[in-house]
Amino acid sequence: MQNFDPNAKVKAVFLYNFTRYFEWPEKMKSGNFIIHIIGTNNSLSGELNKMATSKQVGNQKLEIKNSTSLDATIKPHIIFILSESSDMLKDISAKYKGKGALIVTEKGGLAKSGSAINFVAIDSKLKFEYSKTNAVKAGLKTSEELKSLAIAVD
Amino acid sequence: MYRVLKVSKSYPYVKNILCFLMLVIWHNQYAQNDLLFDAQKLCNEKNYEQAIPLLEKIIVHPETKGDPASWHIRSYAYLQTYKQSGPTNTAKISLLDTAISSALVSISLDSAKGYSDNNYAFIKNGAATYYKLGTILLQDSLNTGKSEIFYQKYKKYTAIINPSFDFKQKDIEYYNTMGSIFADQYMRNNFDQKHGDIAKMALLKVLELDSKNISANINLGILYYNQGATLMRMMDYDVDLSQLDVIQENAKKLFKQSLPFMIKVYELDPKAEKALESLQGIYSALLDEEKANEFKQKKEALNKK
Repeated sequence: MQNFDPNAKVKAVFLYNFTRYFEWPEKMKSGNFIIHIIGTNNSLSGELNKMATSKQVGNQKLEIKNSTSLDATIKPHIIFILSESSDMLKDISAKYKGKGALIVTEKGGLAKSGSAINFVAIDSKLKFEYSKTNAVKAGLKTSEELKSLAIAVD
Repeated sequence: MYRVLKVSKSYPYVKNILCFLMLVIWHNQYAQNDLLFDAQKLCNEKNYEQAIPLLEKIIVHPETKGDPASWHIRSYAYLQTYKQSGPTNTAKISLLDTAISSALVSISLDSAKGYSDNNYAFIKNGAATYYKLGTILLQDSLNTGKSEIFYQKYKKYTAIINPSFDFKQKDIEYYNTMGSIFADQYMRNNFDQKHGDIAKMALLKVLELDSKNISANINLGILYYNQGATLMRMMDYDVDLSQLDVIQENAKKLFKQSLPFMIKVYELDPKAEKALESLQGIYSALLDEEKANEFKQKKEALNKK
């Protein structure tokens, strides 16, 4: 079998797509566009790093950060909290409130607990729940179009 | 009276003509037998290419075309010429065809069965060569069609020498080889669909003959999985979300198609590590983490033993 994780690729495509549907605060429109993964998923890190070599967000280069805990020195545009690190959501959403970080999770119910995007598996396909409320709380301008593509939770 | 006298006068002349004709016929027959002798001599000296023009005359001459020896020697000469051209020379395959068809004519004429054993041996030899060529040509994706033609010729000639021969195992062997070679080519040629389709066709043929064939089940399971994974791998990062949904749907169908083949392998051999590993990957691709973990644990337990 191919040494390739299809789900990592799908998640990378989703994350890149989200950059089209949100508007980050003005102060975050310079420097690199940072995606911070909290937790360990080597396939996903590899896929995102590969994506960073060929894609950028507007004029911003993509930069992928990976850690298992919060790192105050990182000013992320997207924080992807992996399933194993889900219990950090509460702290992270509090810490990044209004700071323009899109919080993405991948465990059932988390869109109602603080994340703006939550990946869910439905009928063997990856889909996402979307909380406009949490996205606004995070300091992001949102697009109505995304709601039509998502499972809205509010 | 005049007429009788005329006949009697011409009698010595007619007699001479008749003698001459008999001489010509005898000489001609002798000449043909002489040619056959010469051809055989050339074959004994391994000058097969020189023997062939003589044999071509012999097999059309009325006195020798019905002689099983003529066709038998012709078969031998063509067979040896083919062998001399190289053991796997497909460009000169018509020589082998001629050798086999000559042996068949010889068999049909040989009521005394004086040449039968050798003729059948020639056909057996030719059939084996076709089988060998068929499998060699499988390595070259451009020659799959030719490979199958050669394989069918192997079957046709083998059936002549052994009408009750059961080809099931040979078919399984041949199509399994084709399937695994093309599944490999599919991977090596950047997941080229054409190679994948040929592999699939061949492996499905194996399973028609033997649904419990482990190798074909594994290769088909992997092939379907790889085709699904390839759809994902080839997708650009900026594909829009509606298109992403379509790609996921198509990949899901392929992952689901791979599942029954791997489950079959697991059922046949619960300790098949490849099946456990593949099932973990397939369920993971189908986002069924519970099942993926189940097979991950089974594989780990197997490795601990």
